[in-house]
Amino acid sequence: MAVTSKYFSGSEKAHADQHEEEDDPRQYLMYDPKPRGEMNAMVMESMYTTSWKFWLVMGILTFLVITCFIYAWGYMIAEGLWVAGVMRPSYWGIFLVNTVFWIGISHAGTFISAILRVFKAEFRRPFTRAAELMTTFGLIQAGASIFMHLGRVWLLYWLLPFPNARQLWPNFHSPLMWDLLAIITYILGSTMYLFLPLIPDLAMARDRTEGGWRKIFYRVLALGFRGTEGEWRHLQTAMNFFAFAIIPVMFSVHTIVSWDFAMAMRPGWSSTVFGPYFVLGALHSGMGAVAVVLFVMRYTMKHMDYFLRKEHFDALGKLMLIVTFAYTYFFFNDYLVQWYGGDKWTDALLHWLEEGPMAWMFYQLLLFNLAIPALTLWNKRIRQTPWLLALIGLLINVGMYWERYLIVPVMLTINRMPFTWKLYEPRIEIFLTIGTFSLFLLFYMIASRLIPLVPVWEVQEGQMTHTLRKVGKTHVPTVSEFE
Amino acid sequence: MSDTTLLAVFEDIDPAANAVEKLHEMGVTDEDINVISGVPITHKMLGRPHPHTNVSRLSLMGAAAGFCFGVFLNYGTPYLYSVYVGGQFITPIPPGMIVMFEMTMLFAMLATFLGVFLDSYFPNYRPMEYVAEVSDGKIAVFFKCPEDEQKKFVDALGTLGAESVKPAEAQQL
Repeated sequence: MAVTSKYFSGSEKAHADQHEEEDDPRQYLMYDPKPRGEMNAMVMESMYTTSWKFWLVMGILTFLVITCFIYAWGYMIAEGLWVAGVMRPSYWGIFLVNTVFWIGISHAGTFISAILRVFKAEFRRPFTRAAELMTTFGLIQAGASIFMHLGRVWLLYWLLPFPNARQLWPNFHSPLMWDLLAIITYILGSTMYLFLPLIPDLAMARDRTEGGWRKIFYRVLALGFRGTEGEWRHLQTAMNFFAFAIIPVMFSVHTIVSWDFAMAMRPGWSSTVFGPYFVLGALHSGMGAVAVVLFVMRYTMKHMDYFLRKEHFDALGKLMLIVTFAYTYFFFNDYLVQWYGGDKWTDALLHWLEEGPMAWMFYQLLLFNLAIPALTLWNKRIRQTPWLLALIGLLINVGMYWERYLIVPVMLTINRMPFTWKLYEPRIEIFLTIGTFSLFLLFYMIASRLIPLVPVWEVQEGQMTHTLRKVGKTHVPTVSEFE
Repeated sequence: MSDTTLLAVFEDIDPAANAVEKLHEMGVTDEDINVISGVPITHKMLGRPHPHTNVSRLSLMGAAAGFCFGVFLNYGTPYLYSVYVGGQFITPIPPGMIVMFEMTMLFAMLATFLGVFLDSYFPNYRPMEYVAEVSDGKIAVFFKCPEDEQKKFVDALGTLGAESVKPAEAQQL
C-alpha cells in the first residue's frame, strides 16, 4: 500500500512538473523575447553559415538541374514532343500534373501569410516568409511546366494579350487564357507581397554587412529604406491591402486551373465542385509542404530552433487537420455524385480507379491524403513532433501528386471511345519532373543564404505586443493591438 | 540664425515619446521632427500626427484602370476582328467576368506596389541621415533646432534618457 502511495505521489509530481513546463509561457516565441540586435545576429549567422553538407546538396541539385531540367528540356525542344510520352488519348501528361501540383504548393504561402495576417494569428510571424517563398518558387515551376507542355515554347507570345497582324486577339473566353492571366496575376502579386515585408529585413542585412557583393546586393534591394514613420505607414497600408487582395486571387487561380478540366464534358472531369475541391487540395498539399520546409529549416539552419518551436508545428498541424476534413468532404462529395450518377463511362472510370492498373495510386491517395492525417493529427504529441509532422506533410504531398496524376492522364485514358484506351507512359517527363523538383529546392537553398528567412521585424513587433498580466495567483498571456 | 539637424537615439518607445513631447514644448513643430525605427511604431504612441499616404488611393485607381482594361479585352477586342462561330454571341458576360476580375486585381496590386515606391521615394541611394542602430531596435528622433540653442536641446533630451544626441550626418546607406 505504501509502495502504491509512493508511486502515485511520484507520478503526480511528474505530472505536476509536466504541467508546469507546459504552462511556462516562455515556451512560446512571443513570450520569450531577445534583444533585436541578438535576433538580427542569429538570423544573419544562419544565412552566413554553410557546411560541406550544404555544398554537397547544392552540387547534386545543380547537377540535376543542368541534366534533368536544362539539357532534357533543350533536347525536347530540339527533337520535338515525340520524345515525351504524351499521345492519344492522354494528350495531357505529367507536365500538367506538375503544373497543378506546383500551383497547389504555391497556395500555402499565401494562405499562411495573408489569411493568418488578416485574422492576426500570431503564430504566423516567424514562418510567413518561408511560406511566401514557396509560393514564388512553386509558381516558377508551374510556369516552366506549362511551357514544357507547349512544346513550341518560342511561340509563347501567341498567348499574350496583343493582336496578330490581322488584329485578331487571343480568345479571352477560353479557360487556357484565364489560366495565363490568373497565373500572371498570382505570380506578380505574390512576388510583390513577398518583397514588401522583406524590405525592412533587407535594410537590416544592409546595416549588418560590411562590404563585398552582399553589401551591394542588400543596398540595392533595400531601396534606401530607413524606417521613417512615412515609410512604415506606406508599407503597412500596402501590406494590408495585399493581404486582402491576394486571397481571392489565390482562390481564383486554382479554381481556374480546375476549370481547365471541369469545363470539358469528360467522365471524371465534369463536376461543379471541382473549383473548391482543387482549392482545398492545393491547401492540403501546400500545408504539408510548409511542414516539410519548416522541419528542414529548423534542423539545418543555425538558431532556427529559437524561431521555429513546437507551438508553430502544433498550430500548423491543427491547420492541416482542418484542411484534411474540408478536403475529405469535397473528395467524398465529388466521388459520391459521380458514383451515384450511373453514367456508363464514369462507372468505367471509377471501376478502373478501384481495380485497374493504377489502383495502387488511388488507394495511396486515400491513405496519405485522408486516413493518415485525419487519424494522426488529432494527437498533440504528434503535431508537436517536427519530424512526424514533416513526414505526414511529405505523405500528403505524395498522395496529392498521385491525385493529380489520376485526374490528368488517367482520366484522359478512360474516355467515351474504348478503342483508344491506352495507359500513359511518361518518358522524358520523368527527367523533367526531377528537374523541376531540383530547381525548386535549389532556389530555396540559394534563397536561404541570401535573404533572411525569418522576418525579424515582424517577430519583434509581435514580442512587443505580448505581455504577461497578473490575474489572481498566476500570470496570463495577453496580447495588445498596435495597429 | 540657421537651423541644424540633431539626432537623438533612444533605447525604448517611452523615452522617445517623451522626447517628442518635450520637443513640442520647446517649440519644434511636427514638420521638423522625424522618427525612425526598426519596427512600425504607431503615431499615437509617439504623440505624432497621422502620416499621410496615397497608397490606398493609388490602389483604387489601379483597380479602376484594370477593370477598364478587362472590359476592353472582353468586350472590345472581339469586335476588332469579329469571328462568329455557330451564331454564338461573341461577347458573353459570364466568362468575361473572370478576365475582368483578374485584370482588376492585377492592376490594383501593381498600383499599390508602385504607390509604396512613389510615396516613399524608393529607390533612393543618395546619402541620408540615418543610424544603423535603428535596425537593432533603437529609436532615432531627428529634429531641426536653432544652431545657437543646440546645447539646450542636447541637455533636455539627455535628461529624458537619450543614449546620444549629436548632429545628424548624411551617410551612404
